[in-house]
Amino acid sequence: MNTVATGSTVESPMPAGRLRKLQTLGIFCGVVAGAWLGGAEAPIKMVNPDFSPITVSLIMVLGVFLARWSVPALVRGTSSVRYDVSQAPHLVVWAVLAGCMWAAANTLTIYAIRNVGLSIAFPLWNANSLLGIFWGFLLFNELHHAGWKRWVGVLGGAAAMFAGATLLAFASSSQAPPGKGMLGVIAALGAGVLWGTMYIPYRKAYLTGMNPLSFLTFFTVGELVTMIALAVGYKGATPLWQELMSARSMLFWLMLGGFVWVIGDLFQQYAAKYVGISRGIPLSNTNQLWGLLWGTLVFHELQGGNRIVHSQVIGGSVLMGLGALAIALSSASQREHSSWRDAAEREGQRYGVEDGYVRAGMEGREFEGGRKRRTLIDCILIAGTTAVFIVLAAVARPPRMDMHLSWAAALAAAMLVLLASCGITLWRTTGFR
Amino acid sequence: MAKDETGSVESASLFRIIATDIHFWIPLLVFVAGLVLLH
Repeated sequence: MNTVATGSTVESPMPAGRLRKLQTLGIFCGVVAGAWLGGAEAPIKMVNPDFSPITVSLIMVLGVFLARWSVPALVRGTSSVRYDVSQAPHLVVWAVLAGCMWAAANTLTIYAIRNVGLSIAFPLWNANSLLGIFWGFLLFNELHHAGWKRWVGVLGGAAAMFAGATLLAFASSSQAPPGKGMLGVIAALGAGVLWGTMYIPYRKAYLTGMNPLSFLTFFTVGELVTMIALAVGYKGATPLWQELMSARSMLFWLMLGGFVWVIGDLFQQYAAKYVGISRGIPLSNTNQLWGLLWGTLVFHELQGGNRIVHSQVIGGSVLMGLGALAIALSSASQREHSSWRDAAEREGQRYGVEDGYVRAGMEGREFEGGRKRRTLIDCILIAGTTAVFIVLAAVARPPRMDMHLSWAAALAAAMLVLLASCGITLWRTTGFR
Repeated sequence: MAKDETGSVESASLFRIIATDIHFWIPLLVFVAGLVLLH
C-alpha cells in the first residue's frame, strides 16, 4: 500500500523493485487506455451523420467536461486537486493549453472520419505516437542512456504499429465515402500533430509530480472554452442552439462517447506518467485494434470483403499487437530513469516546486499533506453528473442501425474487466497518485 | 523563483518563467496552426 514521502531530494535513485512495479503498471495503463479510447468511438457511430461535426464535437466535450470533474471528485476528491495546484500552480496554464489543443484535434478527427472514414483516419492521427517519441527524447530525456535494445524495441515497435495501422487502413479503404479525400487526410494528420504535441504539457506535468486527476480538471476547462468558441464562431449562437435542441435525442450517445473517452484518456495519462510519452502513447494507440473490433463485430463493417482484405486485417492487427509487445518489453532501465529525474529536477528548479513533491510524484507516493477528505462539493459533482446522464438517457432515442448486440455486450464487459483490474492495481500501487 | 510571504509563487514571476520556456511556445504555435487548419 502507499507510503507518505517527505522532503527527500530528487537525485537519489528509486529502488529497483519500485521502478519495475511502476513500469509494469504504466504499461498496463497504456493497454487499458487503448481499449477505452477505441470503445469511445462506438457511441459516436450511432449518431445521425447530418449533424455538423462542430456540434457533435461540442456535445462530446460537454460529456468530457462532466466526466473530468466528476471522476476526480469520485476517486480522490477536489481537495486533492486544490492541494496539487498549490504545489505546482504553473501547471494550470499547461493543462488549459493542452485542453485547447485536444478540442481542436478532436474537431479535426470528426471532419476526418466524415471524409475518409474511421479506418483511414485512425492510423493517420495515431501517427501522433511517433511525434510523442520525438518530443519525449528531445525535451524530457526519454530513451537517454536506454541502450540499443530499448531503442530498437520502442522505435521498432512504433514503426510496426504504424505499418499495421496502414495495412488496416488499406483493408477498409473501400469503405471510404467518395470525394473530399484529401481534406479528410489533412484533417487526420493535423489532429495527429496536435495530439502528438499535446503530450509536451502532459509530460511536463507528470515530471513535476502532478496527479493526472488534477491535471485533467484544468485541461477540460481549456477544451470546453475552445470548443464553445469554435462552435459559436463557425455556426453562430442561434443556429448552434437550434441544432443542439434538434439533437436532444442524440445528446446521450455523444456525451456517453465523451465519458468513455475520458476513462481511456485517464489511463493514458497514468501511462504517460509512469512509462513516459515514448512508451505510453504508442501503447494506448492500440485503440485502433479496439475500434476495428467494434467496427467489424458490432457494426458489420468490412462485410463481404475478399481474401486480400481479410489478410490485410489479420496482418495489420498482428503487426500492431507485436509492436505494442515490443514497446511493453522495453521499459525504462535505472540509467534511463535517472535521466528522467534530471529532467524532473530541471523542471522543479525552474518553477520552484519542492523536491519532495516532485520525487513523490515520480515514485507514485503520497507527499506529506497530499491525502485529503472528500467534501460536499465532491458529492454535488458526482450526483449532478449522474442526474444529467439519467435525464439524457430518458429522452435518448435508440439508434436505428443494424448492430450485433451480443458482441457489443461482450466488448463492453471486456472493457469493464480491464477497467476494474487496472483501477485496483493503480489504487494498490499508487493510491491513484 | 520569487514567492510571497505565504510561500506561494508570485503570479507575475510565474508568467514570466512560462513565457521564457520554449516548451510553452511549441504547443502554443501548433495550437494556432490547428485553428488555422480548422478555419
